[in-house]
Amino acid sequence: MPDASRDAAAPAAQPESGNLVEVRGLTKLYGGLQANKDIDFDIPWRGIVSLIGPNGAGKTTFFNQITGLDEPTHGTILFDGVSVVGLSPHEIAVLGIGRTYQNIRLFRDMTVLANVMVGRHVRLRSKWYEIILHLPWVKREEDATRQRARELLDLVGLSQKREEDLAKNLPYGDQRRLEVARALASDPKLLLLDEPTAGMNPGETQTMTAFIARLRRELGLTILLIEHDMKVVMGVSDYITVLDHGEKISEGTPEQVRSDPKVIEAYLGKQATA
Amino acid sequence: MEGQPATLARYLRRAVVLGVVAGLAAIYLVIVGIVPAFELRPLITGVLGLGLTVPVVAILVIAYHAGRTPNTWPAPTGGPLHRVVPPIVTGLIAGVGLGGLIVIEELFSPRDILPKLTPQTTNIIGLGFEYPFGPLAIIGLCTSLGVLAAILHVLEARARRALVIAVATVLTFGLVEPLLRVMLLQLGRSDLAAFLYQAGRHGLTPIAALTVFILVLLIGLVWQYRGERVRRRYERLPSARRTSVRYGSFALVGLILLVLPAIIGSFLSETIGTVGLYLLMGLGLNIVVGYAGLLDLGYVAFFAVGAYATALLTSPVSSLSWEMNFWIALPLVMVVAAITGIAIGAPVLRLRGDYLAIVTLGFGEIVRILLLSDWLRPWFGGAQGILSIPPPELLGIRFFGPQQLYYPILIAVILGAGVSWSLANSRVGRAWNAMREDEDVAEATGINTTRYKLLAFSTGAVFGCLAGAFFSIKIGSVFPHRLDLLVSITVLSLIILGGMGSIRGVIVGAFVLVGLPELLREFGEYRLLIYGAVLVSMMLVRPEGLLPSATRQRELHDEETDESQYLTQAETAIGGPGISGQPA
Repeated sequence: MPDASRDAAAPAAQPESGNLVEVRGLTKLYGGLQANKDIDFDIPWRGIVSLIGPNGAGKTTFFNQITGLDEPTHGTILFDGVSVVGLSPHEIAVLGIGRTYQNIRLFRDMTVLANVMVGRHVRLRSKWYEIILHLPWVKREEDATRQRARELLDLVGLSQKREEDLAKNLPYGDQRRLEVARALASDPKLLLLDEPTAGMNPGETQTMTAFIARLRRELGLTILLIEHDMKVVMGVSDYITVLDHGEKISEGTPEQVRSDPKVIEAYLGKQATA
Repeated sequence: MEGQPATLARYLRRAVVLGVVAGLAAIYLVIVGIVPAFELRPLITGVLGLGLTVPVVAILVIAYHAGRTPNTWPAPTGGPLHRVVPPIVTGLIAGVGLGGLIVIEELFSPRDILPKLTPQTTNIIGLGFEYPFGPLAIIGLCTSLGVLAAILHVLEARARRALVIAVATVLTFGLVEPLLRVMLLQLGRSDLAAFLYQAGRHGLTPIAALTVFILVLLIGLVWQYRGERVRRRYERLPSARRTSVRYGSFALVGLILLVLPAIIGSFLSETIGTVGLYLLMGLGLNIVVGYAGLLDLGYVAFFAVGAYATALLTSPVSSLSWEMNFWIALPLVMVVAAITGIAIGAPVLRLRGDYLAIVTLGFGEIVRILLLSDWLRPWFGGAQGILSIPPPELLGIRFFGPQQLYYPILIAVILGAGVSWSLANSRVGRAWNAMREDEDVAEATGINTTRYKLLAFSTGAVFGCLAGAFFSIKIGSVFPHRLDLLVSITVLSLIILGGMGSIRGVIVGAFVLVGLPELLREFGEYRLLIYGAVLVSMMLVRPEGLLPSATRQRELHDEETDESQYLTQAETAIGGPGISGQPA
């Protein structure tokens, strides 16, 4: 029987040390093209880790393998001690990975509130026959879900007045926030953000950066970020991993990466040396 | 184009185009024979027949449209002329078209190319006047339709609604005359029947038409202008009273539904029963297509499985000859249905959109051909089908004939609507909608799309099989030739007409697309033509259907207003309360 009380509960306590994600020897071949070459990669609990690199470096491929959209050719991915290689995306979502998309992919013709409530799907227990029979906990769970969705909308800064609007009618910045709310609704342990500030002006970018930091601080989330904006990356990350041509060429703290000559050469290029 | 200012000239150019369209549409209705055939059915005896009403309504609607400002145009400049002049121009041009048709008939009598264009036909569109006054009469009529459309534009929205409702009610009263007349006689109100309807002939009496029009107009006006107050008073009622009002109206509707077959008699109960079966199928297909977005064109397969499974289990002459009681067989049929749904759903899981539609279309045909085949004849009886399906019995009551079968069908429809509503407003319905919107993202959000697709298919299958089961006991036998593609198309059409994803819409769609043609049996040969016309015009004018779900209506119509509204709010919203929280 579903337990409605857990819906409103804060995320479960998490260990403070060790790694949430451990990737070893990850290789992805598309025909002859090596999109990812033998990558080792760790994300510590409650860490904010960024993945950077020029276009075509293999960042999104890496993301897709973690979320199950692509299957690695070689290598292992452990999430919270469980191997996710070969699992389908919905099984991985249940384990506790939420994500946003580089090109916003909301359920455009559903309401704002429904988008967030869909995000909570994996934490709901009502079965179709229980719903048809109107068993008492179905309504309880539904009410708790709506309540939780409203809290999340509040958290990301979307007004409740908009909750019955269609997602596609929101302005661009709000659509990005809604995507975050939808991802958070599944109570993820790991949040993957694919270029969360793409297309934002400097002011919006700044608030988004602060918001990412706040997610970790208040919700205890672990965050993996793909980002082009160096200000965001340097400002918010604990660790940065740099990919180029599918290979990891550098990793470390923002300071270490910033001064790594290989990164300057491959990624920041002539502009940085000039 | 779209940047142009909305000058009167621009409206007039559009009005001319629309006028030509209206004229061609009206001419088409005449030369395919709809007008002369339908004219046999008077709406208002001696004044207006259904035949002339069809082009008249079409021209009126198009003329009204000519005075509207399209969403993509900028706001019109100048006075109200742009709303008044274009409808009249459109009406005039359409009238010239019809008038021209009379002239052509008179001068050339092209009977060998246009066999339906007879002097009788031109007499109808000439409003009974002799040549050359006929063409002038129809031009006059169409121009006045344009004037009427212009008046509708000038009227306040509430008055306009009341007027349109009054006219529509009069036409409907004329159209459902056989139904109403029987009902009134059954209720013992032969006096009212004699007042409303001409004895021995179809149609309203002119005096009754006028009375109904004035009454409905008055009621409509009062409701439009005072209804808000009633609604507000209702909302101010304490919630206990409100609940009792609601239960009271439920009870009233329930009571009407309960005594309906006794009032409307055997023939109309039969019609309502057929509507009920299509309604049940519509509810089922609505889950598959409307909620889950899986375009299934072979829905008749489930209807066939339900009908044949019932026949096999209950008929004494079937190959099984188990002679099972219908009510024991019914749960078995539903289990078979769910399994069939999964069996048909599983192979098409990876297909999307058009491909899914084509493959399911094939499945529907395969089922029919298998039932018809000599190979399976020992089980299904080939073209002869299975006969002697006994009427169901429960606690000594024999459900025989349309007036009794009405009740189990009614219960099935109510349960079906309840199940459909509950699922739609739950995590299951949301998962289906998400899948319809973006399958990959739904999967990544944690929805097991395979499971939810199969759940949609098998739920839809159970509804379809139930309808098939009731169909088989209603007819008392099953044949493959009743189970063709047309059933699938009718069910899909009624969903589209009513409004995809809307339960109320399915109900309206079933009554309009299945019930109305049953009442107008004599026009059967134009049935498909009318379906086609209705669907095309729905897609153009009101793609969300007659009674859409709230979400879908916004999806297709409010976009423009919404966006402009948001543009002004956007700046304030971007610096919203959550994200601009204090940085660490």
